[in-house]
Amino acid sequence: MIHFSNVTKFYEKQAALKNITFSIEKGEMVFMTGPSGAGKSTLLKIIYLSEKPDEGSVTIAEWDLSKLKESSIPFLRRNIGVVFQDFRLLDNRNVFDNVAIALRIRGMLDSEIQEWVMEILKMVNLRHKADSFPQALSGGEQQRVVIARAIVGEPTILLADEPTGNLDPDTAAGITRLFKEINARGTTVVIATHNRELYRNTGRRVLRIDGGNMVGEEIG
Amino acid sequence: MYLLYSFRLALQSLWREKWINLLSVLTIAAGLFMITLTFFLVYNIDLATKRLPARFSVMLYLNDGLSEQETGSIIAQVKKNNAVEQAKYIAKDKALQELKGVLKNADYILEGVDENPLPASIEIKLKKEAVNIASVKKVAAEIKKIKGIAEVEYGEQFLNSLHSIKGMAKAGSLSLIIIMSAGVIFVCYSTIKIAFYRRKEEIETFKLLGATRGFIRAPFVIEGGVLGIFGGIAGAAAALAFYYVLFYKVTATIPILKILVFPLETFPALPAAGLLLGIGGAVIALGRIRFS
Ligand SMILES: Nc1ncnc2c1ncn2[C@@H]1O[C@H](COP(=O)(O)OP(=O)(O)OP(=O)(O)O)[C@@H](O)[C@H]1O
Ligand SMILES: [Mg+2]
Repeated sequence: MIHFSNVTKFYEKQAALKNITFSIEKGEMVFMTGPSGAGKSTLLKIIYLSEKPDEGSVTIAEWDLSKLKESSIPFLRRNIGVVFQDFRLLDNRNVFDNVAIALRIRGMLDSEIQEWVMEILKMVNLRHKADSFPQALSGGEQQRVVIARAIVGEPTILLADEPTGNLDPDTAAGITRLFKEINARGTTVVIATHNRELYRNTGRRVLRIDGGNMVGEEIG
Repeated sequence: MYLLYSFRLALQSLWREKWINLLSVLTIAAGLFMITLTFFLVYNIDLATKRLPARFSVMLYLNDGLSEQETGSIIAQVKKNNAVEQAKYIAKDKALQELKGVLKNADYILEGVDENPLPASIEIKLKKEAVNIASVKKVAAEIKKIKGIAEVEYGEQFLNSLHSIKGMAKAGSLSLIIIMSAGVIFVCYSTIKIAFYRRKEEIETFKLLGATRGFIRAPFVIEGGVLGIFGGIAGAAAALAFYYVLFYKVTATIPILKILVFPLETFPALPAAGLLLGIGGAVIALGRIRFS
């Protein structure tokens, strides 16, 4: 589903990723860990086409990203739900609209959206906050809105960048359970995190990155 | 389709910045109003120059001492020319009579003139379509070849200057209209550009969530169109006020202005023009939307 082959990425002259090669199969749930600045976010950005690799090749599903027409990018992105590390919530819209926008972009009508968005908000325990604005939410609540927006479009790939960074252990466990459920329905899930608790005893693959290098792989 | 949502976004944005947008609308209105005035001016110059042909005539002066038969043959030949609408014969004595009539009390000037010095002449009027410099020159040359015609006279100078006045008015007003239209497009362009930058962050997020170019562009194009339409409506209102003042107030004191014509199609044309210019400005402002 996701194949990196000798991928290198430079920011100015500084390499953020060095010669990275790995594969993630369809339906897998994989963790990615490593210290701050290791290159986890950069790697995910390459997958959702926010950054371009300088060397190497990347294939997502059957798409070779270097050969992808620019006008196809939106349609590929619709198959990739992203929990952004910096949230990217729209401050001037309430929680409902922040989640609904992912469906409106797909051309869905309000009548079709309403129920489904409320359903997803219930899954992340935010139904009662549907009318609140992001500034009026706690960090953990904001994070759950981002998660709701990432999964509402039923993507084939879910990328979560530090999805529990602002959550207490209990809520974090709840979110992990949610990711497992989504993964059980066939979605490929990639989670970047510092939080060892997230992958401990999961039996899932954990890719370790350090200083832009893939330094190892273990089973959590 | 997402267009319904695009309309909502556009209207929200227009309302959020209502004062700036009102200013843009008024600027667009002023531009369109000036375009209207220019158009009104050139339209009337055009009409006025089209009306002149009715009065335009060519004089043919005949040789002295032609027989009645020869004169008749000349008239017949002149009338045969395709461009000639009508030909009126003015005999020598008739010409003298007319001159005396013009001179009235000053007819002592003609005292001592025993012989009639005036030639007989034919005044011809050309068909409407023949009243332009090229064909008048051609007809004059053709007629001059007829035996017995001494001289052909027409307002060559007049025709030439009429032609160049018309040309200058048209070129001047056309460039003015182009400049003003560019101005209107520029106002829409900058308004939309500012709106776009204000929402840059949100647009970035839309892109990452999988928005197409159409989804990103649509609200801004709609905004440009709405600004243009409202500008057009305001411009049409100004044109209506101008129309009212000119034809109901000013003509009361200066009746001659009644010959001016204001084409009423202008009123619906302005919002349509505003719409097109507004959309044009928005499209230019958006440029190419890139995803990576
Ligand atoms: N836009 C950018 N311009 C320049 N350098 C950047 C940019 N984004 C990231 N970097 C650098 O690239 C390296 C990897 O950054 P990245 O965000 O991928 O790390 P990370 O593993 O996600 O860290 P964290 O755990 O803190 O989120 C860092 O050294 C960072 O400073
Ligand atoms: Mg990161």
